[in-house]
Amino acid sequence: MSSRITVSPDPFTLIDYDAAVIAGIVEDAAATVGLPTNVEIHLDVDEVLFAPLVGHMSDAADGKANLWISGANFEDSRRPRTFSTEQARRDLTVMLFRANDRLSEDFADAPPDAELTRGERAAWDVYAVGRAVREGVPVPRQAQIYEFRLQHGFTDIADAAFERLWNAESMTFAGVREVCAETGAAERRTSKVPIDLLRQK
Amino acid sequence: MKKFLAENELARDDRFVRTNIADRLFDPRGAAIAQRNTGPAKMAVDRPAAAERSRSLMHGIFVGEIQALEGAGRTCYDFDLDETPLALKLDMARQCWDEARHCEISIKLGDHMGTEIGAYTESTFLFAAACNPDPVLRLCGVNRALEGLAIDVFSSMKDFGNESGDPVLEFCEDWMLADEVTHVKMGSDWLRKITADDPERRERALEFQRTVDSIFNLGGFRGEDDENVIQLARKFRSLAGFTDEENDSLADLARESTVQAREMAEAATAALDASAQGGGS
Repeated sequence: MSSRITVSPDPFTLIDYDAAVIAGIVEDAAATVGLPTNVEIHLDVDEVLFAPLVGHMSDAADGKANLWISGANFEDSRRPRTFSTEQARRDLTVMLFRANDRLSEDFADAPPDAELTRGERAAWDVYAVGRAVREGVPVPRQAQIYEFRLQHGFTDIADAAFERLWNAESMTFAGVREVCAETGAAERRTSKVPIDLLRQK
Repeated sequence: MKKFLAENELARDDRFVRTNIADRLFDPRGAAIAQRNTGPAKMAVDRPAAAERSRSLMHGIFVGEIQALEGAGRTCYDFDLDETPLALKLDMARQCWDEARHCEISIKLGDHMGTEIGAYTESTFLFAAACNPDPVLRLCGVNRALEGLAIDVFSSMKDFGNESGDPVLEFCEDWMLADEVTHVKMGSDWLRKITADDPERRERALEFQRTVDSIFNLGGFRGEDDENVIQLARKFRSLAGFTDEENDSLADLARESTVQAREMAEAATAALDASAQGGGS
């Protein structure tokens, strides 16, 4: 296992997840998204959170990827308290696509995940998920469009924006903001509920 | 065909995964999560994991519809005509038709949200309300408690559809809600009719309903505050034959259940803290 990847907690105490197994999936996902091999990755798994309290965040600073994910994302929805390799591979790939974006000039002006609006986050996720699917990672498209519509509206304009993001080969954070302006998500009033609430302990 | 089917004898194909409430109660993460603020319980697009919570609840509604169908169908079949009037059985048959349609609508709503049959586990505690051997008590358990819960759930989901601007969810829930009001009204009417000369039996039936309602409050799941996922739908319950007194009583029960859940969480937190202090000494 590469020493550039660290996973916490290690060991898990509340649920039977294996940090080494997760680190192995992170390593594979990092190769899939083309993350430079000199980038250190730290993944913090919140083992207290269970389904359906899913969520994940990808930040990058000083050439290091700092990832946070709810333990619920790894929990097999059909078998509670059981690790799902498929779900872990899916979500870690999406997270690493976004971390890789952050290391590029295209997303240099993006604020940290905790400061993104829900609309920006939903749009960026679609861009990441679309690429993950093209890399052979199965993600239910309808689930993704539902997440997008919740933040961008159940409209033809929102659906057209979803298509563009899903199929985009490249994108910038300015492009993400343009989508939010187009669908009206940028005009939504600011919520009192912090976007990173699940991460706050 | 066998009469009086037990909860564990319900037929399902291999897409379904059965679970029970104890699985969650004994989950070691439960006490730890009780110490955390996971956001407003009431459904809204800005609550954390809004989409996944909606999908999970939608699947819960779908399996609830299956169990409601099974409950109404069992009431048609389990009792002889000397125990239940034919007209009551016809009402239950009509309800089966409605519930079967609700199952199909719920599957389509699941598709709309991006989930599928069996994506989440099924708990069959709703059907337990349909296992009482007295038809009047069963009617109260199914048509007033279970279907009353359905009124609250559909009303909350309809509001969520409205708030999120999702016309598909809003309209589907509205139409199903209208059916549920009818089902509860049938329960209210038949309860009064059958027990017109037997006040003691009526009181036993209502007591059984209160017990089932307490269970269906699910430790704060239902209530009238933002900390409750499902909101008590007083207006629709009134349309279905619930008196103001009954609605107040149910609200009190729900409040008690929420307080009990909070006290349990605090006790679990105290136990965790004590354990942590003991571990550090």
